[in-house]
Amino acid sequence: MGIGPSTKETTKHYFEDPLVNVFAEDPDIDFVGVIVVGTPQDNRMKHLVGQRVAAWLSGMKCDGAVVSADGWGNSDVDFVNTLEQIGRRGISVVGLKFIGKQANFVVQNEYTKRVLDINKSVDGRETEIIGENAVAHVDAIKALAAIKLVIRKHATSE
Amino acid sequence: MRGESLRIRVFHMQDVTVGARFELKPDRLQVPTTFSYDCPDIEQLTIHVLPPHCRDLETNTIMDFIPISTKVLGTPGTGITHTLTGVCVALCGAIRDGEQMHEFGSTEGLLNDHVKWGRPGTPKEDDYLIVIDMLAKKDCILTRKLCLEMFALADEYIQHIRVLMKEMDGRSAVETHVYEEKTHPGKPRVALVRQVAGQGAMYDTMVFPVEPSGFTGGVSIIDMNNMPVFLKANEIRDGMLRAMV
Repeated sequence: MGIGPSTKETTKHYFEDPLVNVFAEDPDIDFVGVIVVGTPQDNRMKHLVGQRVAAWLSGMKCDGAVVSADGWGNSDVDFVNTLEQIGRRGISVVGLKFIGKQANFVVQNEYTKRVLDINKSVDGRETEIIGENAVAHVDAIKALAAIKLVIRKHATSE
Repeated sequence: MRGESLRIRVFHMQDVTVGARFELKPDRLQVPTTFSYDCPDIEQLTIHVLPPHCRDLETNTIMDFIPISTKVLGTPGTGITHTLTGVCVALCGAIRDGEQMHEFGSTEGLLNDHVKWGRPGTPKEDDYLIVIDMLAKKDCILTRKLCLEMFALADEYIQHIRVLMKEMDGRSAVETHVYEEKTHPGKPRVALVRQVAGQGAMYDTMVFPVEPSGFTGGVSIIDMNNMPVFLKANEIRDGMLRAMV
C-alpha cells in the first residue's frame, strides 16, 4: 500500500490540476488556494502537520476545505487525522481518495463518511494503469458540489 | 482580482523529430537521442521519440509524465510562461538486473498496456512522446538519492529545450491563456488541501522548482519535515508542484 500507478498524480497532473481548474473558476465560492502537506513517518509529526493545516485554514477564515490524497493504506492515518483537525475547528470538510473495493479506511472517524471515492476502474482495484483512477475533472466537480452542500448544511444548523 | 495575472503562451508541436541537436520552431521540435551527462550511477540512458498513436514500446516503469514549460518573465504564478503542447516527456527507470524505480506497483512493459491516455496526468494519444529511459548500474540500491539523480538528469535534458523556448516570439503562440485570481467576496471561502508523498525513494514531492514542472532549485517536502506549504492557484498552474512518486 502506498501510491500505486493508477492513483498517482504525475507532474503533468499538477500542471493541469483538475481541482484547481474547477475550484478557481467557480463564482459561487471564494477560492483561497492550495495547502500542500506531506506524510511524515513519525506519529507525533503526523498529528502535528494535520494540526498546522487546520490552524492555517482557520487563520485564513475558511468556511470549507477539500482534502485530497493520491495514496491509500498507511497514509490514511494522516488523511483521517487532517480531516478531523479541520472538522473540529468548525470548518466544513470533504475528502477525495481512492477506496474502490481494495482501500477501505484503515482508521475511521465521523469525517470519513464525507470522503468521495475516486475509483474509476471496473473492478475497484489498483490496476497498474497510470491515470485510470487519479482525480479527474468529474471528481473535481463532485467535490465542489459536495463541499458546497456541507457548508450549506453547516450554516443552516448553526 | 488578487495580484498580477499569469499568461501561459502555448506552442503546439505538429512534428517532433530526432536530429543531431536541439532545435525549435513555433510548430516543430528536434531533439537528439544522445546527450552528455555526468552521473556515475547511470549506466545507460535511452531516448525514443514516439509519434502520435504509436505506443508499442517496451520501457521500464514510468516514473513521471513531464510537461515542457519555461518561465519567460516574472516570478512563478505571475508574468509569462511558455509551454509546448502536442509533446510530453515520459521518464522511465530501473536498476540493471534489479528493481524498477517504483514505490507501490510498477508499470514496466508495453507503454500502451500501462497508461490511460488523455487524463489530466497523462499525455493524449495524438501527442508526441519523448521517452527517457534510464538504467542505473547493477549494484545500485533503490534509494532516494538515486531517484533524485534520475529526476535531475531528465530535467537537464528538458532544460535544453526550455532555453530555446525562452527565445520564442510570443506572437507565434497558437493560444494564450490569461489566468486571473478572482475573488468572490461574500461567498464561502474554500481551500484545497493536498496530501502528498513525503517519506523517501519514489515517495517524495517538490515545490518551487526554478522552471515550471522542473526539478532544479526546488525544495522537497521531506526536507521541510512535511510541514504544510501554501500555493496560490496560479502557482499551481505555473508548475510549482513537482511529483516524484
